[in-house]
Amino acid sequence: MTDRIVGMLVLLLAVGYALVASRMQVGFLSDPLGPRPFPYIIATLMSLSALWLLFKPDPNPTWPEPRFWLSFSLVLASLVAYAYLIVPLGFILTTTLEMTLLSVLFGARWWQGLGGALAFTLAVYFLFTEGLGVPLPAGRIFG
Amino acid sequence: MDILQALLNGFGVAFQPFNLLVVVLGCLVGTLIGVLPGIGPISGVALLVPLTFALDMPPGSALILLAGIYYGAMYGGSTTSILLNIPGETSSVVTAIDGNKLAKQGQAGPALAMAAWGSFIAGTLSVVGLMTLGPLLAQWAIRFGPAEYFALMVFGFSTLSALAGKNMFKALIATGFGLMLSTVGQDPQSGISRYTFGLLELEDGMDFLVVAIGLFAVSEVLTILEEKTPGALRAQVGRIFLSFKDFMGSLMTILRSSVLGFLIGVLPGAGASIASFVSYTTEKRLLGARGRFGEGDLRGVAAPESANNAAAGGAMIPLLTLGLPGSGTTAIMLGALVSLGVTPGPQMFQQHPDVVWGLIASMYVGNAVLLLLNLPLVGLFVRLLAVPAWFLIPAVLAISFIGVYAVNNNPFDLLLMTVFGLLGYLMRKLDFPLAPVLLGLVLGYLMEINLRRAMTISDGNLGYLFSSPIAVVLWVLAVVSLFSPMLIARFRKQGLGGNDEL
Repeated sequence: MTDRIVGMLVLLLAVGYALVASRMQVGFLSDPLGPRPFPYIIATLMSLSALWLLFKPDPNPTWPEPRFWLSFSLVLASLVAYAYLIVPLGFILTTTLEMTLLSVLFGARWWQGLGGALAFTLAVYFLFTEGLGVPLPAGRIFG
Repeated sequence: MDILQALLNGFGVAFQPFNLLVVVLGCLVGTLIGVLPGIGPISGVALLVPLTFALDMPPGSALILLAGIYYGAMYGGSTTSILLNIPGETSSVVTAIDGNKLAKQGQAGPALAMAAWGSFIAGTLSVVGLMTLGPLLAQWAIRFGPAEYFALMVFGFSTLSALAGKNMFKALIATGFGLMLSTVGQDPQSGISRYTFGLLELEDGMDFLVVAIGLFAVSEVLTILEEKTPGALRAQVGRIFLSFKDFMGSLMTILRSSVLGFLIGVLPGAGASIASFVSYTTEKRLLGARGRFGEGDLRGVAAPESANNAAAGGAMIPLLTLGLPGSGTTAIMLGALVSLGVTPGPQMFQQHPDVVWGLIASMYVGNAVLLLLNLPLVGLFVRLLAVPAWFLIPAVLAISFIGVYAVNNNPFDLLLMTVFGLLGYLMRKLDFPLAPVLLGLVLGYLMEINLRRAMTISDGNLGYLFSSPIAVVLWVLAVVSLFSPMLIARFRKQGLGGNDEL
C-alpha cells in the first residue's frame, strides 16, 4: 500500500515536471534540441517506473512507534529554526542549542549535553574561522 | 616504459611533505569513519570536501585526501564487524559473519590481522590494476564523441539502477529524481531558468554537497534516532598477530577476491558492498567442504575485506578515465574536482598527469600507511567507540552545518539540507537507494549537454546516437545490464544482501 501511494506521488511529480517543461519560453539563441526534451525523457522514465510500483508494490515497511515521530518532528523543526536563526543569533549560540537538543534526544542529561555542545561548538568555531579562514556568522544581535 | 616514468613522477608528487601529510590525514579520518558505526564513507567524504576548499588545496592534494578517506574507511569498517558484530560500513556486513565468530572463539587478533593484510594486498593490487588499465582505457576513450558519451552514461545509469538496490524500479526512480535535480537552474545553452520557481538561490543549480550531506549525513542521524543505538561500546582487542600458516592458507582467497572485487568496482553501480558480498559467496562455494564458512573461517574475513578494498581502487578507473563516477563516494570526488577546476575524463592523463599519477602513487603510500596504522593501533581506534553516541552524532551534525553553510555562505542551503535529510530518511525506509540520486545530480548536466551536442552535430537526427560501433555496443550493454538483477538474485538467495550505500 505504501508503495502505491509513493508511486502515485512520483507519477504526479513526473507529470508536473513535464508540464513545467512544456511551458518554458525559449529564445532564438537555443540549440536545435532546446531545454525541453531532456526533462521529457526523465519524466517518461519516472512515470513508467512509478506505474510499475503501482502494479507491483513491495511489502509495507515497518514504521516506528508513534512516540518516535515526536522527537523526529522536533529534530526537523529545530533544523528549520536553525537555518533561520544562524545569521541573527550567530553560529555559536544556535549550534550549541541544536547540539544540546540532539544530545538530550540521544539520551544525555541536559547539563551533559549542554557542556559537550558548548565545548565542541567553541572548538570548531575557532578552528574554522581563525584556523581555516572559513567565515561563520558571529551573530547580528551581538554586533 | 612510460608507466614507470610516470609513476616515478607521481611518487615525486606523493612524497611532497604536504601530500604525505594529506595521505596520512585521509587514511586516519577514513579509518575513524570506518570504525564508527553511523558515519558512512559518503558522508565522510562529503564532510571533508569543504575543508579542501577552505585550505585552498591544489586539486591533486584534495583528490589524495578524499581517496584516502574512501579506501581508509574500507580498512576501518572491518574492526567493529569482527569485535562487536556491528558493521562500521555496509561493505563490511559480510565480514561480521565469520569475523565475529572468530572473535567469540578468542581469535579476534588473527581475524583483525587477516583483515588488515587482505586489505593491504588487495589495495595494492588494485592500484597496479588502476595504473596499467587506466591509461589504456583513457587512450581508447579519447575518441569518444557526444553520442558515445551519452550512450556511456545511459549504460552507467542502467547498471547502477540494476545493481544499486533491491528493487530496480525504485532505483530507476531515484536515478530519475537525481537527473531532475540536475536540471534545476540556468540552462547553459539557452540561458533560460528551469525549475527555479523564482528562487534566486536555485539559479546556479543545486549544489552536490548540500544534497549529499542532507541525503546521507542528516538522514543517517534520523535513522540512528529511530534505531536508538546503545550509548557507548567497549571491546577488548587482544594481541594482533597472524601465523604464517594461516596467512598462506588464505593467500589464494585474497588474490581471487582482489581480482573479483577490482572488476566489480570498475562497473558503475556495483560498489564495495556488492564486491564483498559476491566474493564471500564465491569463496564459500569454491572451497565447499574445505572451508568452515559461517562458523569462523579466516578466509571468510579475508574474502570480503580484500574485495571491498580492491573495489575502492577499481572505482577510480571510470572516475579518472571517463569522468564517470560509479558510486556515491566517487560522485562527490568528481564534484569536488570540478569545483577545484579539474574535469576528469580521457584527457586527464595528459592534461593533469601530476594529479592522476600523484593519486596513484599516493595510494601505494596510503595502503602501507593503513597497514601500519591498523596493525598496532587497532586498540586505540576501538577505544573511540567509548565516546557516547549522544555526543558523537550531534557533533557530526554540527560539522555538516559548517560544510553546508560554507558552500555559499547562505542559510538557504541549510533549509535545502533539511529537506533532503527528510527525503533521505523516507527513501531509506522505503528501500529506495540513495546513491543514484547523487549520481543523477552530478552527471545529469553532462548527460544532457552531450545529448544536445550530438543533436546539434546531426541537426536533430536521432539515428546519430547509434551511428558508431562503440555507441551501439554501449546501448546493447545498457539493455543487457537491466536484466542482470536476475543473475544477482541467484547470489542473493543465500539470505544476504541489502545495501543502500555504495
